[in-house]
Amino acid sequence: MSLSLLTGSEAAAYGAKLAKIEVLAYYPITPAFPAMERLSKFIEDGEMNTRFIRVEGDHSALAAALGASLAGSRAFTVTNSQGLLYMTEVVYHTAGLRQPVVMAVANRALSAPHSRFPEQGDAISQDASGWIQLFCENNQEVLDTILHAFKVAETCRLPVMVNYEGYIQSHTQEEVYIPQQAEVDAFLPFKRVATLDINNPQGINTVTSPDFYMDYKYHQNDAMKQALDAINTVAGEFKRDFGRDWGGVVEGYQMTDAEHALVVMGSMAGDGRIVIDALRAEGKKVGMIKVRSFRPFPSEALRAMLKNVKLVTVLDKNIVFGAGGALGNDTKSALYGSLSVPIKNYIVGLGGRDVRPDEIRQVIGLSEERVKQQTAYEWFGL
Amino acid sequence: MVWLVGKGGKLVTIAIKDLPQQDLFGPGNAGCRGCGAAIAGRQAMKVLGSRTIITIPASCMATLSGLNQRTAWNIPFYHTLFEIAPAVSAGIRASLDAQGIKDVNVVSWAGDAGTADIGFQSLSGAAERNDSIIHVCYDNEMYMNTGGQTGSQTPLHAMTSNQQKGKGTNKKDMLAIMVAHGVGYVASASISHPQDLMEKFKKAAARDGFSYIHILAPCYRGWNIPTDQSVATARKAVESGFWELFEVENGKKTRTHQPSFIPVSEYLLSQGRFKNLSAEQIKVVQNDINRHFGRKEAK
Amino acid sequence: MAEAPSGIAWREQHPAINDKCNQCLVCTLFCPEGALKQEKGKVALCLNLCNGCGTCAIECPQKAIAMVPEFTGDRGVFPLKEGKS
Repeated sequence: MSLSLLTGSEAAAYGAKLAKIEVLAYYPITPAFPAMERLSKFIEDGEMNTRFIRVEGDHSALAAALGASLAGSRAFTVTNSQGLLYMTEVVYHTAGLRQPVVMAVANRALSAPHSRFPEQGDAISQDASGWIQLFCENNQEVLDTILHAFKVAETCRLPVMVNYEGYIQSHTQEEVYIPQQAEVDAFLPFKRVATLDINNPQGINTVTSPDFYMDYKYHQNDAMKQALDAINTVAGEFKRDFGRDWGGVVEGYQMTDAEHALVVMGSMAGDGRIVIDALRAEGKKVGMIKVRSFRPFPSEALRAMLKNVKLVTVLDKNIVFGAGGALGNDTKSALYGSLSVPIKNYIVGLGGRDVRPDEIRQVIGLSEERVKQQTAYEWFGL
Repeated sequence: MVWLVGKGGKLVTIAIKDLPQQDLFGPGNAGCRGCGAAIAGRQAMKVLGSRTIITIPASCMATLSGLNQRTAWNIPFYHTLFEIAPAVSAGIRASLDAQGIKDVNVVSWAGDAGTADIGFQSLSGAAERNDSIIHVCYDNEMYMNTGGQTGSQTPLHAMTSNQQKGKGTNKKDMLAIMVAHGVGYVASASISHPQDLMEKFKKAAARDGFSYIHILAPCYRGWNIPTDQSVATARKAVESGFWELFEVENGKKTRTHQPSFIPVSEYLLSQGRFKNLSAEQIKVVQNDINRHFGRKEAK
Repeated sequence: MAEAPSGIAWREQHPAINDKCNQCLVCTLFCPEGALKQEKGKVALCLNLCNGCGTCAIECPQKAIAMVPEFTGDRGVFPLKEGKS
């Protein structure tokens, strides 16, 4: 294991390299493209035995990766925002076909207006697609989660999105331990499963009548539910093999006797820790839940962790227009009927507007002041 | 009946009776009576053989290929999203390469929409990259799977379900576009000339890099002809010169069938979709053909 | 009202091959369903697959195929009430 200074893009590229992907397809987009370029350099330098398909558009990028996956290869792609939305049709299709494609997403805000800055709205737009969606706090987690993702994907036969924020993570260097290839080979063995198998001809994705479709989707959803266990199991295996514990579907930070819980995804978890530590030093009983798996949503884990809490504050770097923050809404759904703790949902950081630790601290205070205001969601940082 | 089939440079005589007896596509397909697409599929598979993986985007061909847990194919067949058959095929080829499997044909088989319109982007990408796949356009010149609307491959003046006064623009020349991409093997074909079609598939299957075959495959519903006239109508298109049979190998064009030059009116007026053509419009079409073949134009 | 032969509900006619057939096998290249196939160099007709399009009869170079109707009399007409058609 070597310690290097890597951007999130480089970390994602190292993850795919260590996972020994066989086929790579991508279409350049900001801010995901440095990961793509790093991968192509690995290939050109002979450090990856990977076939690269230089597709002509994002939609074709996932299509090509899907084709390779159907034929039995470990396949990978990278994108964000406009590219991800352009691919959406193929995103749903890939999940429906139960193909274990892994996609790195350098989350970026969606047009219009045209923004190239970080935000989680692009990933949120795919929440019903059937992909497992994992969110990373820092660049080490990006590299490690790519490895987790392949293992979870191939266990559950579901595709996995690994999300990290554009610029905040994709373009910022952090210390990252790069595992040894041999260690990764042991953690992530490859067993070829070819759906398009020349020796076993089958028809794939035939026209499907109402008699069949719904039951198929039931099984697909079941697989998503079982993925909660798989994500936790893989996290445990990774901790055993590499010594780093990313917590599985959620991580609780200082939650043991917490009365006020902050719930976040992605880079805000890193800032959140600083804020929680500072407030704890002042005697405040606050804790943080980092939601790592947004899909499948860890409802049971959240109910258990929030059991004794008196106030929940959810920060969302996204907006579901007319309905609130995605994480806020899903948290409320998870707790409905079992816990009646007040939940305050704040929309923050859209279009790359910075969310600093002191601002997170302000929101925690604001939430406590406004606990009686029965608003579904509020905005912070306008 | 005996003909010559080019095989790696050597000419080989082959009889229909020597073609494989098994139909790797066809039996039980859900096509309409006389379906030109199904005829094309059966003819092509006689040559492509069992070491073939086929991807078919949304189209009549995809729809007639299977329902629920049934397939009309004896090879791996995948019904893709509308736009992506060439991109998916590129991915399949990359995977086969990674696995060291070299003897499998990867074919994207699309209709006119999946080739020339909604599928054009991924087709262009695969062609430009020279991916080792065969793209086949089976062309019924309208969007038949959605009821027969106009597409870029609909000929000038043809009536369709959403242009009942006839199309106002020319058919987009996909063969020229593929040649312009630098594709090493580009060929037109017709279900009426199966030996010509099969020779072209053999050539495409024998080479590396991207190949493009464009088959005229009439649809009785869309063209408004009797169910037993698909092959005969395609033959009239070829024999009038309206649909030229040729191939372009590394930029060099060879006409593979010399038409007998029946009047193009015999072709056009045999179909309901051209029934409103005026004599003047027919004359323009005839002169276009004559000019193309170096024949005298009528005044 | 005519009775359809049992099991045949999807076509109105099927091919009958007469002895003008010289086994050229051209029909096997034009059948959309593969109902006309070759077995040991000879034409075989699989009626389970034929949907009665009539292409083979048109294309046979020897004119050895004629299309024979499935129904005789009033094809596919079902009386609404007894005694009426």
